[in-house]
This record gives sequence, structure tokens and C-alpha cells, in this order.
Amino acid sequence: MNEAVLENIRTRRVLREMTEEPVAREQIETILEAARWAPSGGNLRPNRYIVIQDPETRRLIRLVSPGMFQKAPALILICTNGDVLIEHSLPPTDRALLIDIGTAAQTMMLAAHALGLGSGPVTSFSREAIKVILNLPASYSPEMFICIGHKAPTARPGMKPWKKITWRDLTHWERFPEG
Amino acid sequence: MSENWVLKEDEAIELLALLITSARIQMDEPAHYAPMRLLTATERLSSAILERASDKSRDFLQSNIERIPELRMTMSDVEAYAAGLDDLCREVAECLLRHSNISEDSS
Repeated sequence: MNEAVLENIRTRRVLREMTEEPVAREQIETILEAARWAPSGGNLRPNRYIVIQDPETRRLIRLVSPGMFQKAPALILICTNGDVLIEHSLPPTDRALLIDIGTAAQTMMLAAHALGLGSGPVTSFSREAIKVILNLPASYSPEMFICIGHKAPTARPGMKPWKKITWRDLTHWERFPEG
Repeated sequence: MSENWVLKEDEAIELLALLITSARIQMDEPAHYAPMRLLTATERLSSAILERASDKSRDFLQSNIERIPELRMTMSDVEAYAAGLDDLCREVAECLLRHSNISEDSS
């Protein structure tokens, strides 16, 4: 059993308050390398990743991203590349696309945590405004930002849970009974 | 009444960007996210105008900047969230009174 992996999963938290300290290029590359190994439906790899470290670009992104509370020194934007969908005759509503975004995002956040960095996902942003700010190719659909940085000493705890849950609350074993 | 200019054009445009993009994303998000977006706008506006604000407003604005991030985190505790928002409503009403010409004997 690899206890270190399980411990990494258990101790990762969404971080919303980060310092301005830059994230090293090698660390970002390690995170992207980890995402490359995330599961992908049909192994089609429709995700594309855009790294943003430039301060002014990050500032503009934050202005059109109401859900981005972090002032993160590094952002990774997960996009779906529509060209891959066309190539494989996949509709843009294919659920596997959302799963690909999720597996890549979680893999990146676990990798960041393993490197001693904090991270947090953001989906509350204007897709149209982001396309303009980043001059995205027409085939790219921006789906989720992963904010990466160092934990601020003043960082508050995360949002309180709606109710306490364990894995048992989320799980049913075997077939449901009749009636 | 105060006629101080407290917001620069760039700051106003930035706030507009937040409000416009919030309006759009709110169409795809749960209704209970809406107060959070308005609180974020309140926090950013408070930060933008704090330096140039008069004494009548400064404590209220500073309080917003300090308390809103924490208040947002109580979203899942509906009663605490509502109580925190009610506190802000009372404080903004007091701030309005400080800015108004209303006199005590007008009641």
C-alpha cells in the first residue's frame, strides 16, 4: 500500500488565499506532466492547458472571473480542443469531456499538493471574456482554471460543509432492493 | 452629503467587469451563489474607494474588506450567513445616515 499517496489525497484542500511568491517553472512542468497521465475517455486527450504567469494577464483574468478569489501567481487554464472532437466525431455535449476535465484538474491539484503548493479550481468565469483576453484559438473552449501558489500565512479555513459526511453516506453496496 | 470623487475610471471599469460577468455566470450557477457575487463586488468596491473615502465611510468600508471573505465562507450555514448579511445591512444604513442631512428631530 502506498500510504503517501493516500495521505496526499486526504490532506489536500482548496486554497483561496495565496502569496505573491512565484511558482517555479519546474514545479509547473511537474504538475502538467502529472496531468498528462490523468485518465482520458477513449484516450483521446481533448484537453489543452494554458499557463498564465504574466501579472497583467492574471489581473485581467481575475476581473472577469467572479469566482476567482485567489490572487494566484500561476494559473493553468484547462481547455477542450474542439478539433479533437471533430476528428473523432464526438458531440461537444459528450459527458466524457467533463470527466476528462475533472480527472486532469484533480491530478494537477494533487501534484501541486505533493510539491508543497496550494491550489484551487475556478469555473465561475466568463468564457467569452476569457477567449478575448487570452486570444484563444476558435476551437478552444475554456473550461476550468487551476490556481496555483503558496499558502498565505493569513489563509482562512475553507468553506464549512453543508453537512458532515463520510464515504459511507455517499456509498451503496450492491443492487438496490425491490420496492 | 459628500461630493468626493472616490473611484477612478479604471477602478469603475473593473467593477463593471465583475458585475457584468457575474450576471452572465449566475445564469448557469445555483441561486445561492448570487449573494456571494454581490458580496465580492462590495468587497472590491470598498477596497477601491477606501483611501479616498471620508471619515463618515472609512470604518464601514474597512469592516467590509475584513469581514466579507469570512462571511462568504459561512454560505453553507444559512442562518449565520443571513445574520452576517443583516449586520452589513444595519451598518450600511448607519453609514447612509452619516452621509445624509437627516436630523434627529425629523423623526
